[in-house]
Amino acid sequence: MRTARFVLTRFAGMLLVLLIVTFITFVVFYLMPSDPARLACGRPCSPENLALAREFMGFDRPWYLQFTDFLGGIFAGRTFGTGAAAIHCPAPCFGYDFQNSIAVLPEIGGRIEVSFSVALGAAVIWLVTGVGLGVLSALRRGTALDRITMAGAMAGVSMPAYLAGMIGITIFAFALDMVPKNGYVPIGQSVGQWAWHLVLPWFVLAFLHAAIYARLTRGQMLETLGEDFIRTARAKGLTETKVVGKHALRNVLLPVVTVFGVDLGALLAGTVITERIFGMAGVGKLLVDGIASMNLPVLLGVTLFSALLVTFMNFLVDLGYGALDPRARLI
Amino acid sequence: MKLKAITAGLLAAAMLTACGANDQPTAQGGSVKPGGTLYLLADSPSVNWDPAKSSNLVITTLSFVHRRLTSWNVAPGKDTTIVPDLATDTGRPSDGGKTWTFTLKDNLKYNDGTPIKSADVKWGLERSFAPAFSGGLAYHKDLLSPGLAYKGPFDGKELDTIQTPDDKTIVFHLARPYGDWNWIASTPAFAPVPKGKGAEADYGNHPVTSGPYQLDKYERGKEARLGRNKFWDKATDDTRRAQADNVVFQLGQDTSVIAKRLIDNSGDDQSAFGVPFTSAAQLAQIQGSASAKARLTTSESGALAYLSLNTQRGKLTDPKVRQAFQYAVDKAAYQVASAGSAQLAGDVATTLITPGIAGREQFDLYQAPPSGDPEKAKQLLAAAGLPNGLDGLVLATHNENGFPEKAAAIQAALARANIKVTIKPLDEDTYTSEVDTKGLSDFDLTLTSWQPDFPSANSNIQPLFQSTEIGNGGVNESRYHNADVDKLITEAQATVDPAEAGRKWAELDKKILTDSPVVPLIYTRNSFLHGSKVGDVEIGKFPAYVDYRKFGLIQ
Repeated sequence: MRTARFVLTRFAGMLLVLLIVTFITFVVFYLMPSDPARLACGRPCSPENLALAREFMGFDRPWYLQFTDFLGGIFAGRTFGTGAAAIHCPAPCFGYDFQNSIAVLPEIGGRIEVSFSVALGAAVIWLVTGVGLGVLSALRRGTALDRITMAGAMAGVSMPAYLAGMIGITIFAFALDMVPKNGYVPIGQSVGQWAWHLVLPWFVLAFLHAAIYARLTRGQMLETLGEDFIRTARAKGLTETKVVGKHALRNVLLPVVTVFGVDLGALLAGTVITERIFGMAGVGKLLVDGIASMNLPVLLGVTLFSALLVTFMNFLVDLGYGALDPRARLI
Repeated sequence: MKLKAITAGLLAAAMLTACGANDQPTAQGGSVKPGGTLYLLADSPSVNWDPAKSSNLVITTLSFVHRRLTSWNVAPGKDTTIVPDLATDTGRPSDGGKTWTFTLKDNLKYNDGTPIKSADVKWGLERSFAPAFSGGLAYHKDLLSPGLAYKGPFDGKELDTIQTPDDKTIVFHLARPYGDWNWIASTPAFAPVPKGKGAEADYGNHPVTSGPYQLDKYERGKEARLGRNKFWDKATDDTRRAQADNVVFQLGQDTSVIAKRLIDNSGDDQSAFGVPFTSAAQLAQIQGSASAKARLTTSESGALAYLSLNTQRGKLTDPKVRQAFQYAVDKAAYQVASAGSAQLAGDVATTLITPGIAGREQFDLYQAPPSGDPEKAKQLLAAAGLPNGLDGLVLATHNENGFPEKAAAIQAALARANIKVTIKPLDEDTYTSEVDTKGLSDFDLTLTSWQPDFPSANSNIQPLFQSTEIGNGGVNESRYHNADVDKLITEAQATVDPAEAGRKWAELDKKILTDSPVVPLIYTRNSFLHGSKVGDVEIGKFPAYVDYRKFGLIQ
């Protein structure tokens, strides 16, 4: 009962956050000086043509009506224009991308596989290496291993993603010619080729993220190892493996899980730089392209999708917290 | 052409002496032969294959799949001329240029084998009026339906200013005489769409094609694959060589990675052409590689970079004050700020009409060394009652593609003549809304560039200087309003004889510059990189883009 209530409150909170994000995004986009209709106006853009484009896209209405149009579209779908050339965006309609003639939802849907493939593979690598190296550094504190790991972590944390990607691609794809230079192969087409094309992006992303986890794990582990209950565990005669692997690690993982949930949520919604450098058409690339072409419906859609993933991962983290630490369930 | 032109601003051109436009094949012992797969590496994530929604040039991407009534003949070192494409000639004007008649060639077929009829050209144009399909080049719209009263064919209405008395003939009845109508007939909307088809919004993902290729596969953000249209007959097409068997666009690629791949020149990338302009940083990289340097193609000329002076603000309303700016600027410093050197940046500009446009006359009303003549500028300002110069001017420019640096060069140059300027770099949207949309702009000066959409001086001058183009998205950024010039523009547009029209435009070029609403700076060069197996990479005098129709692979 208590667990059910915990899950329900968290879920309701998630929906509320999403609604607020939608509203804020909408207002922000509306306040921007750009006019989405201008892109559909052509050149030369006569005032008559601009007015027609605005009317067709529904951008001629006051912003609050556009907001309710948008919300209504999620439940009832939308139709733009009339007659044989009218455009239908079936429910749930999260906007329509007029530039590319496709509803935003299927547009994002068609790119999820790419973004998830990049993010999940990288997440596994960075979680394992980050936590592993963090634990090792903590146990071998002050040794060469510790110093090298932490120096590497520093580099990873401070390096801009674009630079890391370009260095990776320059060394491994161009100079050594070990991995493909770009492109994505769907997993359904060939698992081997899929992984082969993803190896470099995975490691680049993992390098950037593992650093934080290594440092976080190391600090947390050092702190935990100094706690009384660890001394007690050791005094009980438990093996060092059990002390570290079971008792200490469980405490260490609490903050790691929190950070991981948010990170993964954000990455699943598209790895902007990585997708761009490696020429992969994921959600992140969609976002960059949307910004470049001021494609507001796409920007709104991707922002919402991203918010959904982050809040959902947070929701999972909350549940996970409950499992790792029973005290969390009381809140 | 503004956005492309803006991007062009950064471009530096190659150092392949004065004219790098004719590229020599670099592969030993090979020559261009039909066949093979050509790769085009593009940074843009998508291509709009729908002719109604496209603003593509007649010589680039869409030339593979769509033919139009007319086309352009471009060649290095020569002025660009108009040639027939689907039509038998370049159009026959009558009624003083108000009526234009075109006849289609025989045996024209779509890729599904059905014949191309004049009614299809009409239908394609009608389609472009439907709000769902607007967004492409729209020069035809106001001439065919003033005020855009016509809203497209999908509610059953025809556009009665276009008549098709038979399957071969198409007659346009324009709202006013227009000498460049045959140039307009080379814009994308003049590609045929089978009558009755294309009501679906995503028609562009599976268009019926009339060019040498068809769209076999199109995945936005990833790639487009073109295969041969077996119903295309080379005998009916003088402008397309269509040498490669397949053309593959790799879309949404990072520009730095494209440059790296082309410099690296391995595997399929040997058969690849880089669509984006080569940036100044990439050009510096290329200078270090003899192989890459030989595979760089540079235009002789390009977009006009210019400083516009707001003729409706403060002291700038006085033409004498504006003329001082012609001497105050330092075009040599501008070249260096653009691309490091004069050769990389492009020649100093003194006219509004860009090289490669028929009828252009080279002149210089304000003769000064490339670095300017600040003393003369000071004298002019003093004569206009400003012995202490000008203070507090605001210069708006773009916040990307090196424009802030170029604006700084202008600022420094003007300071020599006691003209003090503050720079306001704006993002594209703010620039459009603040500079081009408002009737009265709050800026004194703007720094930007312009490349015409079709090779007529009309396209150099009318959008920038007719008073109808002030505000509302027009690009008359100097807010130049001269009733006499307006009248002369309308007259020149109505002139059917190209030679006579050319003379009128050249006169306008001089007349407008006498009023000094803008200061021409340079004709900005563009450079493009390609792999070692790509041959026949040519850039004509206009436009500053490679002619995709000529590409072939060295086998």
